[in-house]
Amino acid sequence: MKEAKKKKPETSIGVSISALGAFSVYLITGLFLAVGFWVVRDKYSVDLISDPSLTLRLLWIIEFPIVVIIYSLFRRNPEKCSYFRAVGRSILGLISGALINALGAVSLGAPIGMQSLPKTIHWSFLMSVFTVVPATAVFGASWADWHRVFASLKPTGNIEYMILIPAYGATIGGWFGAWPMPLDWERPWQEWPICVCYGAIGGYIVGQMVSLSLMILLRKHKSLKLA
Amino acid sequence: METYLKNKKLTALGFLLIHAIAILIFTRGFLLTRTELPFHSTCSDVSLSPCLASPRSNHDSSSGQSNQTQPKCWTKPVVDRVIIIVLDALRIDFVAPSAFFPEPKPWMDKLTILQKLAFANESSAKIFKAFADPPTTSLQRLKGLTTGGLPTFIDVGNSFGAPAIVEDNFINQLVLNGKRLVMMGDDTWTQLFPNQFQKSYPFPSFNVKDLDTVDNGCIEHLFPTLFKDDWDVLIAHFLGVDHAGHIFGVDSSPMINKLEQYNSVLEKVINILESQAGPGGLHENTMLIVMGDHGQTLNGDHGGGTAEEVETTMFAMSTKKHTTLVPPEFDTSSCKQNKDGNQMCISYIEQLDFAATLSALLGISFPFGSIGHVNPELYALGSSSWNLDKSDLGNSGTQSAANEWMKHYVDVLCVNAWQVKRYIDVYSNSSVVGFSSDDMSRISDLYSAAEQNWSNSVKHILMDRNGDDGSTDISALLKEQIAEYLNFFSSVVELARSKWTEFNLNLMITGFGILVISLILQFLAVFHGDNSYAVGSWLSTGAAFTLFIVTIRACSFLSNSYILEEGKVANFLLATTGLIKLRYSVMRKTMRKEAFMFLAMVFVLRVSIDIGLTKQAATSQFMSSSPSWMLGIAPDHPALTYAIEIAPILSVLILICVLYVAIAKAPNEGVWKYVTVSSMLLQVTGGRNRIPQTVYVIGLVQLCLLASARMFCTEKDKNWAIRTVALVSACSSPVILLSGKQGSMLALVYLVAGYCIMRLEGVERRTKSDGQSKFSKLNPLCVVQWSLLSICMFFASGHWCAFDGLRYGAAFVGFDEFVLIRQAILLTIETFGFSIILSVFGLPLLIPVHSQTPQAHGEKRHQLFQMYMLFGVISATTVTATILCVTIQRRHLMVWGLFAPKFVFDVVGLILTDLLICLASAYYL
Repeated sequence: MKEAKKKKPETSIGVSISALGAFSVYLITGLFLAVGFWVVRDKYSVDLISDPSLTLRLLWIIEFPIVVIIYSLFRRNPEKCSYFRAVGRSILGLISGALINALGAVSLGAPIGMQSLPKTIHWSFLMSVFTVVPATAVFGASWADWHRVFASLKPTGNIEYMILIPAYGATIGGWFGAWPMPLDWERPWQEWPICVCYGAIGGYIVGQMVSLSLMILLRKHKSLKLA
Repeated sequence: METYLKNKKLTALGFLLIHAIAILIFTRGFLLTRTELPFHSTCSDVSLSPCLASPRSNHDSSSGQSNQTQPKCWTKPVVDRVIIIVLDALRIDFVAPSAFFPEPKPWMDKLTILQKLAFANESSAKIFKAFADPPTTSLQRLKGLTTGGLPTFIDVGNSFGAPAIVEDNFINQLVLNGKRLVMMGDDTWTQLFPNQFQKSYPFPSFNVKDLDTVDNGCIEHLFPTLFKDDWDVLIAHFLGVDHAGHIFGVDSSPMINKLEQYNSVLEKVINILESQAGPGGLHENTMLIVMGDHGQTLNGDHGGGTAEEVETTMFAMSTKKHTTLVPPEFDTSSCKQNKDGNQMCISYIEQLDFAATLSALLGISFPFGSIGHVNPELYALGSSSWNLDKSDLGNSGTQSAANEWMKHYVDVLCVNAWQVKRYIDVYSNSSVVGFSSDDMSRISDLYSAAEQNWSNSVKHILMDRNGDDGSTDISALLKEQIAEYLNFFSSVVELARSKWTEFNLNLMITGFGILVISLILQFLAVFHGDNSYAVGSWLSTGAAFTLFIVTIRACSFLSNSYILEEGKVANFLLATTGLIKLRYSVMRKTMRKEAFMFLAMVFVLRVSIDIGLTKQAATSQFMSSSPSWMLGIAPDHPALTYAIEIAPILSVLILICVLYVAIAKAPNEGVWKYVTVSSMLLQVTGGRNRIPQTVYVIGLVQLCLLASARMFCTEKDKNWAIRTVALVSACSSPVILLSGKQGSMLALVYLVAGYCIMRLEGVERRTKSDGQSKFSKLNPLCVVQWSLLSICMFFASGHWCAFDGLRYGAAFVGFDEFVLIRQAILLTIETFGFSIILSVFGLPLLIPVHSQTPQAHGEKRHQLFQMYMLFGVISATTVTATILCVTIQRRHLMVWGLFAPKFVFDVVGLILTDLLICLASAYYL
């Protein structure tokens, strides 16, 4: 087990990334999220509250390419797996991730009427971009890596922190985002999936920050250990 | 070992007792109860009163205004007809001039016609500030207005389900005295008084978004009725202002439109009355009362006890012109100058006094349970009619007229005081929780003092009757007498308020404190004898997560919205635990099928809860609408109806197969097996049977059989699984029967979900290290899941925490006539069958069946005890949270509509859980 761990950084991680690199990746993804919101507001003059399904669709359509483009650079085994293959498999990952997210949301109590179906679909695509797509771009179908990172929570290397923590952050943020929904404030943002979206985006950003600080902390820790 | 186990059984019993005591104490402080007395006042009762000494018939003839043609009841009638226009949720500042408030607001001064009449010179109209006792909901207020009492949340003696008022009341007295009633507007009146109205035009009141249907219906019938002479009392109840407040708030244009509409309606009504007010006219001696039943906050809410909600208003006008004669001592009016320098006065009245005053005005006997007194100012508006002819005698004439009026008034008060005293005495003797003897003796003293004074002053009146020029001496005597009576009334009302409308915070806090202590004790009991496991293992992720879930659920009760959607919240949490389990099962690469199955069952429950919520939204006044979850299938599609018919039968069959598999595995277990087999047979018949009584009887016989088997063959059986199956199956057949069609399907879902919980029980543990070698530890997460599942079952079986959520029909499955105890038991089984009875008895199924060695048996018993204690802790925690929230929110708007029913359901559930835990630990341990 230990040997395998030692081996992995050498062979399977194609491009390693520094904390600064991770920061710039986060900056770019955050920027594109902001661009998405800007496009929605200025070009289509709607927002999350007035037209959630259109907004969510635009958001994930804008966010998805940038996430794929960036994370495919860090794919495992770059010598065996071409860049375009990574892009291709992350499209598959997008769809299956959306399915998983949608099922999870429905089992937690998302409305299942016909009129909320498009909202649920686009919400789960966005969640998929946050959670599953980076992992598919990097790991592909390597079940062992998935299992190690997501189920056993044993990430190694900065790129795995970058995949794991924001994904969990988005999920947990979405979970907490559902809490205001039953309240009788009668605000428009209490509708499904608006506050869940806000929660997920917030959790995603918090996750990014946590992963950044973890990277910095762990690097210092390592260097201390080495010294 | 035996004593140890005996101790455990006693522990369960002890917690039952502690909880019962705590809840009893809390309830004494919180749930104000009042016993409804079945007695009615009659005209002849008055002969029992000391007031008969008053030679009223002589008096009448001497004053030259003999009403001998009309049979007199308790008091002399002074008005012929009464028109009561109720404007729901009429705030005081809708009617009173804006000069009375710090700053004028857009909704003020809209009912100008009332102000114009009230403040005109020589007016026979008056505006009152009326005080409504909480709870300020329409139904309770109408009850309070008509009975003259203080309705509480639970009026013991309420008929089973139907809201009709059985207590003696003003409307009932009117009917008994041959008055004819006409009602129009809010259909609450016809619910409260189903047979009393000669004519009624009810309109549905529950659609809050509809501002106009009730009002337009009222207006349509009001004006033609005013020209008819076939009624004595007319009640018109307008709802527009209440609904406009609920939807738009007070500061809104719909509200102002409504008020303007009312102004024009009232103007028209008053014009009609005045046009008919001449001698011999239809409305020669009519009284018009325009009143609110309660106020509302600026957001349009009402129900609580804040000033905005309890301050409403009353406008009264008599068609006979006269000047008011109330002596200044009894005048409660407060006056302000308006812009033109005119004096504007507003008097004060309590809604409590409404029934007594109107009874006195119409000359009927007072409602038996009325504790109000005849309000001098309102009484004066009508009652000065007979001494009008004397008032032209000048100053001394006014004086004697005032004396004359006071003589009448004191006479009325005497009857009134006697009636109130009679009620207080009877109530104190017949009610379970009467008044304390100190209070009673104080009130008796006041009454006898007033009575003493009365018999003295009666003589004076008797002597002075012939010499009609009233001296100041008489006037002073009369005033003194009136003051004594008013003193008596105010102390009675004060006592009644403290008894029926004020929470006893000390008792509430004591009850809550005991509950918290019991919670801590119970928590320690979970750990008791658990030395072999280090505390560190308890701080595992599972335990932390358990704590988190329980805390979140407890905190969620702080908000009324979460209580409304409690089922959804429980389901959300259950699904969360399911997802966590799924994560672990993926991590450990085992039981993935079970994890997915569990989530599927959660999904089924969730759909079922949604259906339940739609039912709730149909009747609840707090839930506006529920999201449509239907997948676009028409509800009467043939395939769907076919599926609804076939599904229960299918699920019963599957249940039987499961039971068969369960007993086939375990051989030679005598009684248990027979019981299970007979349950299987029972369920075949139970699903479709026409003779449910047989099912109840067989269920009872099975339980007795199991209990005796437990007593006589303790040594042989080491296997609970089969015992649990036997017990649960014996209980399940009545429960499934009572739950109707969905029962068997829900039972199946419950079974599958429970099986998944059991299988997933140890999934997050590092299976290899301690799963097989040692006996497995208690897993708190699965107990939490089981408890959440049982809560979901409560909501999924179509219940919710409100009294209209009870399925009264289930109480009559198999029985036609009503026997309180029997029907209450059936209703309890139906309500808590899935959520408490089956879940408590089925808890041992969660213990995985690995090892069957004898030494493991003792461990298992201990573990089972721990599980029961944990289950008890979880239920007790939620109830404690509910109690805390009820205490905090006791002045909340929805305290009677939402928190109190939730409290009652939770408390009954907790006691039942404790009781069943006692029984279960006697049976299993």
